[in-house]
Amino acid sequence: MDRLFELQGEFWVAAVETLYMVALTLLIGGLVGLALGTVLYTTRPGSLLSNRVVYNIVNVIINFFRPIPFIIFIAAVQPLSRLVIGTGIGNDALVFALSIAASFAIARIVEQNLLTVSPGVIEAARSMGAGPLRILRTVVLPEALGPLILGYTFVLVAIVDMTAVAGLIGGGGLGNFAQVYGYRQFEPVITWAAVLLIVIFVQGVQFLGNWLARKVLRR
Amino acid sequence: MGTAPVLTAPFAFTTFHVAEENTMALVALRNVTKTYPASERGGSPVVAIDDVSLEVEAGDVFGIIGYSGAGKSTLVRLVNALEPATSGSIEVDGREITTMPERELRGIRLGIGMIFQQFNLFNSKTVWANIAYPLTVAGASKAEIAARVAELLEFVGLADKAKNYPDQLSGGQKQRVGIARALATSPRLLLADEATSALDPETTQEVLELLKRVNREFGVTIIVITHEMDVIQSIATKVAVMDGGRVIEHGAVFDVFSNPQNPSSRRFVSTVVKGIPSPAELAVLRERHEGRIVTISFRDGDASQAAVFVALATAGVEFELVYGGINDIQGRAFGHLTLAIRGTDAAIDTVLAEISSRVDVTEVA
Ligand SMILES: Nc1ncnc2c1ncn2[C@@H]1O[C@H](COP(=O)(O)OP(=O)(O)OP(=O)(O)O)[C@@H](O)[C@H]1O
Ligand SMILES: [Mg+2]
Repeated sequence: MDRLFELQGEFWVAAVETLYMVALTLLIGGLVGLALGTVLYTTRPGSLLSNRVVYNIVNVIINFFRPIPFIIFIAAVQPLSRLVIGTGIGNDALVFALSIAASFAIARIVEQNLLTVSPGVIEAARSMGAGPLRILRTVVLPEALGPLILGYTFVLVAIVDMTAVAGLIGGGGLGNFAQVYGYRQFEPVITWAAVLLIVIFVQGVQFLGNWLARKVLRR
Repeated sequence: MGTAPVLTAPFAFTTFHVAEENTMALVALRNVTKTYPASERGGSPVVAIDDVSLEVEAGDVFGIIGYSGAGKSTLVRLVNALEPATSGSIEVDGREITTMPERELRGIRLGIGMIFQQFNLFNSKTVWANIAYPLTVAGASKAEIAARVAELLEFVGLADKAKNYPDQLSGGQKQRVGIARALATSPRLLLADEATSALDPETTQEVLELLKRVNREFGVTIIVITHEMDVIQSIATKVAVMDGGRVIEHGAVFDVFSNPQNPSSRRFVSTVVKGIPSPAELAVLRERHEGRIVTISFRDGDASQAAVFVALATAGVEFELVYGGINDIQGRAFGHLTLAIRGTDAAIDTVLAEISSRVDVTEVA
């Protein structure tokens, strides 16, 4: 316990680092994933702007990258990370790798949730003379908003999980804190303190997501 | 609810130009075919619409009836170009739509309302926003939208539900929202695809009454798709019977109901028309009555029943009324009466020949 008090400063820094990585990843991965998922949805055969070529390209890319274990993925994109953000290590490098991985995961979730919108509703909008982009913006996305929020909540929890390996490439965060000061120094209290904070954080996110989705779905 | 005048008022969103009265069909299909390509997993192409020619005149309530898979939905979806025709010509208010680019078609669709079996309301939008949607697409101003939505809500009797969401409404209320939404841009044509099939009989009548008002008060031409003959009976003025992608019979509802030419139409008609005995009922009649069993069909205006009965009474035969019914279709009556006639064959043949010049006579057993 005393050790935890000594490390209070490091603990809170680690917490803020986790928040930073999660928030930034969610922002970048969330937007790119939304875009990719929307492209998948609109270009799939029979959809609003069906385009076999675009659909197949995006589909294959996602299928290729998605199964790669994140721990290996980090190493694999390191050269790209150096090229794009100028560094292959640290929190920002982790955010870089994680954003890419999250984009692909989110793309699938977005695609699947948009597909739950009933074709009849889209047909109704078409029958009123609305064009494909208007339908996407004013019908498909709002109709799928509830499930989308739940999907994003799910991804957010997974992102928190994945930030734990940041230490691997010299990053920080609560996962690294637990490893360095808890596990390696035989201090279970330290490990559990980090675990507890992560659990609280995840629970909070889940609660917020459920609440928002319920509000949107009015159920 | 006297809101009639406003509905035609300042909203000129329709892209229709004013058609000259009675000179031109509002919708004209000529030799239209629609083939869906074979699915990727093999199979053969589906001919959903097979060489259909049909005209719907302004002011009609035009019913299209047929069994599941007959091509009814496909046919109406061709009319507002939700689906492109494979061949043939489709004119809507004098404009050929089969060759129109997609952008222009959106304008056409804006001028055609459509309602659906499953209502297809936007669940994420309030009743108000659902009705406002097509007006937004049409580019109406905020003030125009507010005024128009208010009068439509009033018209369909849902003014108190403006802020509700669709999942808070009953089926009948949902369809009334659907109708209000379809009428928002003051279309001249309304397409109703099984609009009452998800509703109970009472609610069905309410919705049909509302559609009648839409037709009478605002002169909106309506194409009604259904597989229920009583829907046709209660609102249609003309009817087309579809089977296997073809229109096998069409005409005024009274004519098709009182004298269907085609076996398939006859089957539909017999579901609502009173007085035609079914084969099982015929067997019972046969057992119970001696003599020859004959069904005679009267149509209002064709012949006087009295003349027929006088002929029978003076022919030296005995006859009994064993089955029958009189129907009223939009104020005109027709009936089917089944008689058991006894006497010498020669006398019966003579009298049947005589009355068959006045009415339809079928010897049924
Ligand atoms: N998008 C499609 N792709 C392939 N075939 C289709 C498609 N839509 C309809 N069909 C086929 O076209 C035929 C006519 O279908 P349609 O939906 O027009 O029938 P319907 O008369 O409206 O039937 P129901 O009463 O069941 O609604 C059917 O054989 C159907 O399987
Ligand atoms: Mg149908």
